Amino acid sequence: MEPDQTQIEPLTLGEQRRAELVGPGHSFATVTDKISSIVLTRKTTLGFLGAFTVAFGLAMMLFYTLAYVVVVGVGAFGVNVPVGWGFDIINFVWWIGIGHAGTLISAILLLLRQQWRTSINRFAEAMTLFAVACAALYPIMHTGRPWLAIYWLFPYPNTMGLWPQFRSPLIWDVFAVSTYATVSALFWFVGLIPDLATLRDRATARFARFAYGMLAMGWRGSAMHWHRYETASLLLAGLATPLVVSVHTIVSFDFAVSVLPGWHATIFPPYFVAGAIYSGFAMVMTLAIPLRVVYGLEDFITLRHLQNMAKIILATGLIVAYGYMMEAFTAWYSGNEYERFMILNRLKGPYAVMYWALIACNVIAPQILWFGKLRRNVALLFAMSLVVNVGMWLERYVIIVTSLHRDFLPSSWGLYSGSKWDWSMYIGTIGLFLTLLFLFIRFLPMISIFEMRTILPQAEVKEEGQ
Amino acid sequence: MLARIDGLRQRALIAGAGALVLCGLGAFVNPDQFFRSYLIAFVLWNGVALGSLAIKMLHQMTGGAWGLVIGRLLEAASRTFPYTLLLFLPLVFGTKSLYIWSHPEVVGADQALRDKAPYLNTTFFLARAAFYFAVWNGLAYFLSKWSREQDEGGAEPYHTRLQVLSGPGLLLYGFTVTFSSIDWVMSLDPHYSSTIYGILFMGGQGVSALALVITIVVVLGDHEPLKSAITSRHLHDLGKLLFAFIMLWAYFSFSQYLITWSANLPEEIPFYLKRTQGGWQFIAVALLVGHFVLPFALLLSRGTKQNRRLVLGVALFLLFMRLVDIYFLAGPSGHGEGPAALHLHWMDLAAPVAVGGLWLAAFFWQLKQRPLLPAHDPMLEEALEHGR
Repeated sequence: MEPDQTQIEPLTLGEQRRAELVGPGHSFATVTDKISSIVLTRKTTLGFLGAFTVAFGLAMMLFYTLAYVVVVGVGAFGVNVPVGWGFDIINFVWWIGIGHAGTLISAILLLLRQQWRTSINRFAEAMTLFAVACAALYPIMHTGRPWLAIYWLFPYPNTMGLWPQFRSPLIWDVFAVSTYATVSALFWFVGLIPDLATLRDRATARFARFAYGMLAMGWRGSAMHWHRYETASLLLAGLATPLVVSVHTIVSFDFAVSVLPGWHATIFPPYFVAGAIYSGFAMVMTLAIPLRVVYGLEDFITLRHLQNMAKIILATGLIVAYGYMMEAFTAWYSGNEYERFMILNRLKGPYAVMYWALIACNVIAPQILWFGKLRRNVALLFAMSLVVNVGMWLERYVIIVTSLHRDFLPSSWGLYSGSKWDWSMYIGTIGLFLTLLFLFIRFLPMISIFEMRTILPQAEVKEEGQ
Repeated sequence: MLARIDGLRQRALIAGAGALVLCGLGAFVNPDQFFRSYLIAFVLWNGVALGSLAIKMLHQMTGGAWGLVIGRLLEAASRTFPYTLLLFLPLVFGTKSLYIWSHPEVVGADQALRDKAPYLNTTFFLARAAFYFAVWNGLAYFLSKWSREQDEGGAEPYHTRLQVLSGPGLLLYGFTVTFSSIDWVMSLDPHYSSTIYGILFMGGQGVSALALVITIVVVLGDHEPLKSAITSRHLHDLGKLLFAFIMLWAYFSFSQYLITWSANLPEEIPFYLKRTQGGWQFIAVALLVGHFVLPFALLLSRGTKQNRRLVLGVALFLLFMRLVDIYFLAGPSGHGEGPAALHLHWMDLAAPVAVGGLWLAAFFWQLKQRPLLPAHDPMLEEALEHGR
């Protein structure tokens, strides 16, 4: 696809591709300097403080909302008969979906030996953790008494013989999401250890040396350490791979096992998983593009990375579009009047604007990614990634609200819209997410230092010795 | 090498022609059974070709050592669409026998079928089939042509062209496979519908194509040029891909089952009710064990994936399980809505041999036309290096 830029010495196509993963002229030392200096020596700028203040302010709004909901009760949310599932599950699914790209990058792309994952995996994994944290708030808060949530959600032996309904995918969600959070956190932390040791060795401040030293868990970089590290990350990748599929599959079951038109569709599992990866990569891009500009990381997060992500966004976006097509076709083909009504109601009902906006965002907009020239236009990619984020939120909104607001019995129809507390909680979680992200960027290396060194051309010789 | 391929072609042709004669006799005795068995056989082998086409295009998009060394096998399989078109022709005469929706008197008496008549009618059915074959032949033709020209003249511009074709090509593949699976198999029971159906077939075709490729790689692996090109590392990669497709197939099949079972809706659940009684339950269990548990357990270990004989066994067994899966999906004969007992007919085995023999003969014929390794692919050197 790429025109030959350097014809000095004949490189094979594969070597060219690899060379595009890191800017020219880097050595092991410059990579380490560049990435660790962001944490250790770079001055905290006013811009950073300003942006952090905004994010932190929004996070405070979230905590205010949470307190309000606890004091007043879940009646503060906009849900009511007939729409009993609203913003809580829309935003839960949205955030959980976003997390999937991080796991895909760190686990599946590692197993597939895709070297371009190297510079984006660290902050994508961090994104996963923070997104899961935001997602988990919704089911916990919607119980109304979150301090009792564990008592309701987790099965434990008790004298009353009371158990959760094991046939309900909602209880599978509890296991799936908590496993997902645990494995993601472990994976992220294990990957950080060698870099934490680098920071420990380079930090000059006493407290920083102490803190990074504690976190590095005695890493000395011996051959034995590396051997164990490699084994552990492969095992964790193996464990995390099924999670990429299982978490969102179970989320899709929340809907699909019901008998509601628009929810009950056998295609939901693969279509939700594809949608999750789609939105996740869009979010990675939304974060990566400003980061590389602000911190001057264009040498590490190159155009090749952005293009590869754009291709994944296009591919998964097409799978999502396929899902929309099959839903509509099968609704017609099934001959079931409720199924047919559901699709017509989406196309022409009270939420038609959202449906068509979703089609514009998720199906039409990403088609620009077919063209190599547009895939290299960074500003356009950034705009595209925002559009996809919006589109995937709308998708969950349309799926959840349109199926509930008009069910089988016209006398029970009604309309739904989120209350101001719904919105403040949603925007608040975005604030929490960004706050955590800012802290992460400030205190931890956002790109894996030691893995970046392995993809330098200088490291190539060692690779062949294996 | 060429002699070996010729030998295989001849044997396939003899087996196929022999079985075809038997089936031809059977067609006179019991035409309904013939068409049913033949349809299943056709869907199986056409699916092998389709899976090969898709994997070839997928490889053009992603690259990787695994796909280069088997590229020519995939191309040869995807050049068989002119022959599968010929093999499809008998089914044109079988629509009345196979599909209840092609009987106007039945449709007239059934509200649901009247509603579907704009889609399920013989004219549109045949027009769609013509469209599918046009798409598949067109894609295979250009893929194969540019790949040959790349061999003769060097990498550019063909490498780029192949990529430009493969992206939209995969879209067309997904579209045509979905609707052809609905037309040919799902509409055997015109009251049933499932949104995952097309994806289920795509997963299955991936298994079929990889099973075929692994079989051929092992069978021809003692001869140059494959002998020195394909090492146990390549075989390991192919085994991993087969493993991945088995899991995909199981994932899709289980999703459909769980969602249908859990909702228990009157228009859907008969699909599984019919297939869990009257002997069909044994087929269902056989699928679970043979199409997933057993190959999953075997392919889990690196030892199996690198052991030529063992992996050949798994691949051949999976080709057979593909037949069982399609047999299961086609289900009890659509005539009459009540549960029907499992009734294995000798043609259910003879027809796959007939279609398979003829298809394999066409495949080997195509395989012989080109060198088994591409000459000027820009990634070939690296791909061979990967195996050393």
